[in-house]
Amino acid sequence: MTGTIVERPDLADPATYDHGIPHAAFRDLRAMPGLVWNPSGPWGSGFWSVTRLDDLVAVSRDPMTYSSELGHIQIYDVDEDVRAVRASMIDLDPPVHTRLRRLISSAFTPRHVQGYVEDIRGRVRSRLDSFVEAGGGDWVSAVAAPIPIGVICDIMGIPEEDHDLMIEMTDHLVEGTSSAELDPGAYGNTRPLRELPFNSPAAHGVEEYARNARRQRLDNPTGDLLSELATAEVDGERLSETEYARFFQLMIFAGNETTRSAMSHLATHLVRHAEQFDRVRSDPTLLDAAVEEVVRHASPILYFRRTATIDTTLAGTDVAAGEKVVMWYASANFDEAHFADPMGFDVGRPKVPGHVAFGGGGAHFCLGASLARMELSALISEVLDRGLRLEPAGDPVLVSSNFVNGVERLEMTVVAGG
Amino acid sequence: MSGAVHLTVDLDRCIGIGQCEMLEPEVFRLDDEDGISRVVDGATLDRARAAEVVERCPSMAISIVEDSPSG
Repeated sequence: MTGTIVERPDLADPATYDHGIPHAAFRDLRAMPGLVWNPSGPWGSGFWSVTRLDDLVAVSRDPMTYSSELGHIQIYDVDEDVRAVRASMIDLDPPVHTRLRRLISSAFTPRHVQGYVEDIRGRVRSRLDSFVEAGGGDWVSAVAAPIPIGVICDIMGIPEEDHDLMIEMTDHLVEGTSSAELDPGAYGNTRPLRELPFNSPAAHGVEEYARNARRQRLDNPTGDLLSELATAEVDGERLSETEYARFFQLMIFAGNETTRSAMSHLATHLVRHAEQFDRVRSDPTLLDAAVEEVVRHASPILYFRRTATIDTTLAGTDVAAGEKVVMWYASANFDEAHFADPMGFDVGRPKVPGHVAFGGGGAHFCLGASLARMELSALISEVLDRGLRLEPAGDPVLVSSNFVNGVERLEMTVVAGG
Repeated sequence: MSGAVHLTVDLDRCIGIGQCEMLEPEVFRLDDEDGISRVVDGATLDRARAAEVVERCPSMAISIVEDSPSG
């Protein structure tokens, strides 16, 4: 069978996400047999959309057939000659990926992130204190953005005075997935954009910062994660400056933008589903489930792409070697075959089967999942302990992107608690 | 311990996420050196719980040792 061909909507077009995840369109796609072919556009050749959870998990867990390394993990095409220059471990397949990932995996295990809990709670408390004192404001810039960047920077060893710069640069990386434009020469960039992650000059800024950090730590190791990474060896060799910079960029982006999205969407759920959070307040054993439900609804990363290494068949659709296969987490997380009343917000959902917002399993499962869970858990429990009640003070301003489900601004008023 | 089974971790597949250690700290321990999960010597789990832990390993590195004692 061949896949179904549809003209609309173009899932690669950032405008498709102007009002958030296009749930109705995804629901239609999930109901179609096989995979759905999204035709080519200005960003490159067409791709197969994987919208159902079972199919997504099958792709995610089979890196031999669906490679992260062969093409690119975003929809747009990357020229062959610059692929290796741009690649970080997220763009690699096992076994190389496995060796790189093991360099830092121990810093992000559930056991290890327990050690960060007091730091996280401290950051949550101080941000909520300021927010309450001001009577509200922009939840994103006051709460959702600074907490995760503070936490990941602490873990990596980036000083407090540079946190705002990290927020600014990673915001610009996201713009690389939208229609917004940054001056190609920003951050002193002189390289062609196609050589830079997210095609963004901000990636140059991040890279320069990382190169400096590496040099400083090789001269004066401080015991932080950046020092460990500078001296760590893979197969007897240290990471090159470029490899180090890619690692840095991946951690600073993934450890910040994603949790920020989930924390931003959390505020909306606190308003819309106050009764669900009342349940959590009276039964704290539901806290973990509330975290998962926030993450499922947020689906902070809308998709990752794989490229077929061989001719294969998925969901009855023939996929040719070299074709793009896109896993839409933002669709699979609302798959009615797995989630009863998928659009509902329910802290009583069973743990298994879970959502795929951290990935569908396999080698690329979100490195920071335990950290993100702990941050969200700390924020929710602090909000509930304070009896904090919010009311929207304007419509949310969403990030224009086909890649992240971000919120740019979310004005909220504090109406109770403190 | 009716239906207790042994488990094993595929060391090439494990990427040290630590989900297993969180679920069953008596059974799994991430090695302090390489960060990879190991099964604690002699540890067993009830078959149903073992199946759940297997299912919840994101890297599909855990399996039940099928010749393990059933009883």
